[in-house]
Parts: sequence; C-alpha cells; structure tokens
Amino acid sequence: MKLLKIGISGVRGIVGDTLTPELIMDFASAFGTYLNSKKVLLGRDTRISGPMLHSATTSALLAAGCDVIDLGICPAPILQYMVIRLKAEGAISISAGHNDGDWNALTFINQEGTYLNSYQGEEVLDIYHLEKFKKMSTDKLGKVTPHPDYLDTYFDKLTQFLDSRAIKKAAFKVVIDACNGGGAQIVDAFCKHLGCELIPVNNEPTGYFPHDPEPRPRNASEVASITKIMKADVGFLLNSDVSRISIVAEDGETLSEEYALPLIAGYYLRKQHGAVITNYSTSRMIEDVSQCYGCQVIKAKVGQSDCIQKMIEEDGVMAGEGSGSVAIKEFQPAFDGFLAMGMILEMMAVKSKKIAGMVKELPKYHIVKEKIYCPPVKAHSIVSDIKKLYPSHQISSADGIKIEWKDGWIHIRASATEPMIRIIAESRSKEKAQERLEKATNFISQLM
Amino acid sequence: MKKRLPLKISISGVRGVVGDSLTPQLVARFAQAFGSYLGRGKILVGQDARASGNMIKNAVFSGLLSVGCQPVDVGICPIPSFLVMTKENSAIGGIAVTASHNPKDWNGLKFISGEGLYLNPSQTQEFLDIYHQGEFSLVPADKHKNILLEKNPTGPHLQKLLNTLDVEGIRRKKFKVVMDCCNGAGAILAPRFLEALGCETILLNFTPDGALAHHPDPVPENLNTLCRTVEESGADVGFIQDADADRLAIVDEKGAPLGEELTLVLAVKYVLGKNSGSVVINLSTSRAIEDLAHDFNVPLIRTKIGEVNVVDEILNTKAVIGGEGNGGVILPAVHPCRDSFTAMGLTLEYMANTGKTISQLIEQIPHYFMLKDQIPGSPEDAYRIIRKLKKKHTKAENISTLDGLKLNFVDYWVHIRPSNTEPIIRILIEARSQKKAEKIMSHFKNEISGL
Repeated sequence: MKLLKIGISGVRGIVGDTLTPELIMDFASAFGTYLNSKKVLLGRDTRISGPMLHSATTSALLAAGCDVIDLGICPAPILQYMVIRLKAEGAISISAGHNDGDWNALTFINQEGTYLNSYQGEEVLDIYHLEKFKKMSTDKLGKVTPHPDYLDTYFDKLTQFLDSRAIKKAAFKVVIDACNGGGAQIVDAFCKHLGCELIPVNNEPTGYFPHDPEPRPRNASEVASITKIMKADVGFLLNSDVSRISIVAEDGETLSEEYALPLIAGYYLRKQHGAVITNYSTSRMIEDVSQCYGCQVIKAKVGQSDCIQKMIEEDGVMAGEGSGSVAIKEFQPAFDGFLAMGMILEMMAVKSKKIAGMVKELPKYHIVKEKIYCPPVKAHSIVSDIKKLYPSHQISSADGIKIEWKDGWIHIRASATEPMIRIIAESRSKEKAQERLEKATNFISQLM
Repeated sequence: MKKRLPLKISISGVRGVVGDSLTPQLVARFAQAFGSYLGRGKILVGQDARASGNMIKNAVFSGLLSVGCQPVDVGICPIPSFLVMTKENSAIGGIAVTASHNPKDWNGLKFISGEGLYLNPSQTQEFLDIYHQGEFSLVPADKHKNILLEKNPTGPHLQKLLNTLDVEGIRRKKFKVVMDCCNGAGAILAPRFLEALGCETILLNFTPDGALAHHPDPVPENLNTLCRTVEESGADVGFIQDADADRLAIVDEKGAPLGEELTLVLAVKYVLGKNSGSVVINLSTSRAIEDLAHDFNVPLIRTKIGEVNVVDEILNTKAVIGGEGNGGVILPAVHPCRDSFTAMGLTLEYMANTGKTISQLIEQIPHYFMLKDQIPGSPEDAYRIIRKLKKKHTKAENISTLDGLKLNFVDYWVHIRPSNTEPIIRILIEARSQKKAEKIMSHFKNEISGL
C-alpha cells in the first residue's frame, strides 16, 4: 500500500517510504514556480524528520528563485499570520498536524495566509505533474533570511484581539500538553502574554511524541490528572501544528474535541452576529448554538482549505470543525489553536464560569467515530455503494454521504489526508449512534 | 564542435550548471547514494564561496538525512582544511560543494572518505553504481538525525600547518605579503594563517561571497591587480589562490608572475633540500622537477592526470612531496591533498631559510617554457588522433600511453590527452624556450588537423 496523499493543499506521506527528498523537492519546486520566484515563508513543527523536509524544501525554493524567510519551528497559524505581516507571496508549513510521528507533510499557504483553494492547488499540481519547474541561474537564485523574532508580533496581535485585561485579571492556571510538537515552549509565550500560569506537559520541542499528536480524550489522561491534582482552571491538548485543540475541564473531565467550536461559538456569536462555517462531520451542537443567536450554519467539505474558503466566500464570522479547530475571520482566516485557547480563557474570565458549567449549557449528543483502512482508488466507490444501506433515506452527497435523522446523523467519507474511510455517527442516544456506526462499519468491511 | 554538456559525472565527483543540470533533485540523489555507500554516520558538508552553495548544500542535507546520516554543516571552508577536518573528526566521510575553478554558474560535489581523501577510482565506481541503480537505503522518521554545526572548520588544518612549518624562522623575517583570495573559500583561513607566520599582509578580494573577483584560475592573465599591488607596496611576495584554495600561483617581489608551474618546482626544490624521498607528479608537470629529482638522486614517479592519482601514488611510495603543475602542491606531512596554504608556507620558509628573494630562487632552477593549448574534440576523436600519432612518432625517446599520449624528446615533450571534464583535446608542450615551444605547438596542431 502506498501511504501518500496528494491534495490541493499539499502532500502528506510516510518518511522513509513515500515521502522522499526528491518528491518533496518536486512539490516545493512546483510551488516556487507557481509563486513566480517571489518571497516565501517556511516553518515546520518539531517532527524528527523535520530537518530533512526543511532542507529539501529550502533547496528547491532557492533553486526556483524564491527568497526564503525561515521561521524555523513555527506553528501553522503563526506562519499564516506572518505571511501577511511580512508581505510574502506564500508559505510552506512542514507538519503532518495530527498524524503519527512517521508521517510528515507540506502544506501550501497563499498570500492571504490561507491554505491554497482548489483553483490554486490544482495549478500547483499541474506544474508538479508537468515537471515544468523554474530553474534559476546562479545570480537569480533565492536567498535565505532567518526571521527569529516573530513570536511577539503574533502574540501582541492575539493579545489585542482578546479581552486580555479580563484574562490577565483572572490569573488562570492552565495545563497545556504540546505533545513535544510545534507548540512546545511557544505555549510559554502564549501564557506569558495572557498573564496565565502555565503548567507545561510534554513541552520539549524534540519531536518525540509521547502519544499520537491528535487532541482527543484518549490522549488526554496526563493533562486530565494534572489539571485535577494541580487544581488548574483548564487543560488543553494541541496537535503538532497547533491548528487544533481539545479541552479538559477543571474537574479533570476530558471533553470531546467536538466541544471547542460550539463553546467558542456560544460566546463569540453573541458579540459578533453572522454565519458559521463547518463541515458535514461536525456535531449538531454548533447548529443548536447558532440557532439560539439566529445565526446561519453553512456546510463545507472537510478540511481547512474548503472551510476557510467558504467563510470568506459566504462572509461568515467564524469557521471550525469538530476535530477541534476554530477560526475567527476578524482575527485571521486560519484554524488557530492559540486563538481557540485564548477564546476559551476569555469566556471563562468574562463569564466567570468554569468549563464544566459551560458544557452543561450545551445540548447533549453522543458522537462516535471509526476509520477503516482503504486505498484511495477504492474508497470513493465504496463510499458511494453504502447508499444501498439506506434505501429509504434522503442522502446528501456534498462530501461523501450523509444521512440525517431527527435525533442524529451519520457521515461516511474518504479521508483527504490518509488512505482511510471515516465513519462518524452522532445521536441524542448513545446506543443509536453506536448502532448506526456498527451497521455502516460492518457493511463497509463486507464490501472490502 | 560538440557542445559542452552542462553535466559531468566523473572520478572527480559531479559538476553541473546551476539552473540547468544541477538541480536540487539531482544533488539529493547523489547525497543519498553517498550516504547509502558509506552507511549511517556523521558526514561533513563544506562549501566553497559560490553563490549557489546554499541551495546545493540544503539539497545535500536532505539527501543525507533521508538515508540516516548525520550531516555536519561546516560552512564555507577551503578544500584542504575540509579534507583535514574530515580526517580528524569522527566523520565517516565528507561532501564538498564546489566546482573548483569552473566558471561561477557551475557547482558540484566532491566525495571524500573518512580518511580525508577523495574517493579513489574504484571507490567512485562502487558509489556511482549505487547512484545509477537509484536504490537508496531510506530510513524511517525515527531514525532521522539532525544537522550539526561546525564552528571552527579550519582549526585542525591550521594546527597541522603550524606544527609542520618552521614558524619561528618565517616569523623572524616579518615578510610583507600580498594575498589575493579571489573572494574564494581561502579567505576564511588566509589572514589568520599569514598572521600566525608573522607576515604583514595586504589582502585582496577576501570576502568569500561567491562574487568571484576575476576568473578563479590562477593563471597569469588573472593576476593583474595582484602584480600591480606587489610592485606598488614593495611586498616580498604575492600569492593568489583558486576559488577552493587548493592551488596557488606566486608573484615575485618585482610584481612579475612566475607561472603556476613554478609553485610546485620551488616547493619540491626546497623540500628535497631538507628531506630525501621520492617525488610524485602527473604526466603534464614540468620536466624541471625531473631534473631536480635527478640532482637530489631521488625516485620520480609520474601518474595519470587527476589529483586522486597523484595522491594514491604518494601514499603508495611514501613520497615526501608531490603535486600538479597547475599550482597544486601536496605535502603529505600536512595532509595528502593539494593545499595552497602548504604551498605558501613552504615558499615563505624557503625564502626565510635562504635569505633569498623569489626572483633569486627562481634563477637557480632549471628553466623550461610550457605552452598549453586545446582543440575541440571528443574523447573518441582524441584516441583516434593518438593512435595515428603513435605510429608516426617512433623516434621519440620514450612514449607513454598512461594517459593519452606523451612523447618525450631530448629537449622537449608533448602531451596530448582528452580532457576529463570538457569535450576538448588538450595539447601541452614544454621546451627550453618560448620560441621553440610555439614552433612545436604549431607543428603538432598542423599535424593533428592533417589527421
């Protein structure tokens, strides 16, 4: 099986297998050619393979004539913000987000600081397939400039956006598990700017992931016990590029990553009325919350690229996914874990409430998720075949297939980042969600 | 004429034109092949001062990392210092990002063993085999290493030079030296080296920024500024390095260039005066060295062209000195490689110990005149010509076919060979006078075009 995923916003694969220096260079050459030899930002997370991808990318960008501003280890949302601040033409983020340590990826960011949209991405892929790379002569090669003092620039902006006076006054004690990823040690600056006391967990930028870097309850046991014992106000888990978070309540209860979006929306939409963009796999909580404020929910395909693109097109005020990602347009068009943590802290401070209390105000759903290995060539036809399982239902096929019931829904789709079929079911009743999930999973297993 | 290809893969490594053949992808594949050949370990990566060095170096890093090697970034470094560093360090090998004296749009890679020597022809063949097969030993992410940084890449080399040379003898003379580094890698060490030898130094072109101040070949046409500066400043001597600082040309105290052939001749004469032992040079090197070996009654060994061949033979015969006529002096007591710093040190020591000026020292050595020319032609053309010439010149005193064809006559020789790096046929002639050499050259060129 070939563990390589080429998509409009970049390429993702397994190092030592599909993700070779040459492949990375071909993609970086294509991106450098697409940008017409202009200025590019480069950042990476702490993955052990980071230096290999970083040097391959640097070399290819220089060869294509792009000047490279090297931000070194830099979380994706900060990189995205700096694209605009430094007036770059684009950026490459080297990180495989929530994937295991043997994975890595290049993600392409445009001059607006967002992931490439489908038109832009397709153009890069066309250049990649044609291998029509710009090859500059010696005097037109790009140069590398390091840019080490960007953290304050970003965190000053974040501090201005948030009600940081309220947050500082609350003097929160915060536990953050950076999974030794891209957020490691940068969370220190985050807490310092917001006057919080940090209790760091896995805060070394070594790239040795103590658990898989997906912010989910199953990885939250360390944060949960520390939060409870240290009597912290809240705990957070980050993925390796800090685009996603999950939350642990003050009592040590690990919240599903689904809670980040509706919690923040419930606070933010009151201040800023407007549409919320989410995908088909996200908990219905966001719909209930939006309805309270008379705000519209608009659906996009799964993934940062489509979700943010839709937010811009539909003039939404925020966007997010059930995987723990949140963007607020007024701040920046990017899934941003620092912003998400900051918003949670702000609402705790302003409302003088703890997480457990705020969670109780949200409608209660049960969401269950499963993924089945399936090569991309088969995935799409299998997803389509599943329709047979629901002969009498109305099926939405905007992104995979989605069937809705009064009490819940099921969404089945081919992953864009891994050779997997993802099945997600949600219901008011735990049993019903589980039953629907199992039914679909069994059916897919038979099809395979 | 067949166009010069923008890529050359040979026993001296790989060279190509940036923006054309020498892509990041190609460079990364070579680094992967080299790492796969040596096995996982520390590999030093150095560069000359070319503007494309950073692009190439990063490609090398990614290739080495992907096969589990640990690259050590040595930065801009004179090639002899890099070779010494590779030996003294616990590295299993080294890659030098350099195209030696090629024009500035070129760059390349040279591959070095853990002993600090260029891969010899059989090692190169093994390694190139891995490259051509394209099967590299990729390692999974958790076996990846990081990139280390070496901050004092010239330290071990400088130490070796100072341990070998008569530092006190040179220091006492307080020589005034004009040093032209051609904005090459030599600028990293030259000022410190000459300072350690107590010289008052006037530096020319000492910013290693890749903007080569003139063509990096240290042949007389490229020495104008240096000659003028020596004359105007009343310096004792002028030195000029090529871009990677393995070769040296000398300007005498009157501001006259000696011609690069004489760098080695001076060094050999001085060293043989101190130590007895064999001398190794290549087929195209001046006959003056044969005369010197004869005078000192030591064996002289001639090899095929190519530094690696000379070095191999120096190690085999435990020679005291050797080198190439292009200004490449090899003193195994420092390190078995061409080294412009060794050449400078020996020249200064020779001046100090004898109390003589360069022009006086030159007067005492046998005089020859060498003429180098070339005609377009592929290696096939060259060998066809050589076969025919061999039949015609049966009366040459002795004929060598070790590398192309060398015809030795009583008072001159002619060497015809295909270039290792370009589609040209090189013709070298050495005779007692310029007039004689020119006459023989036009005769041979006519003879060749007749074939």
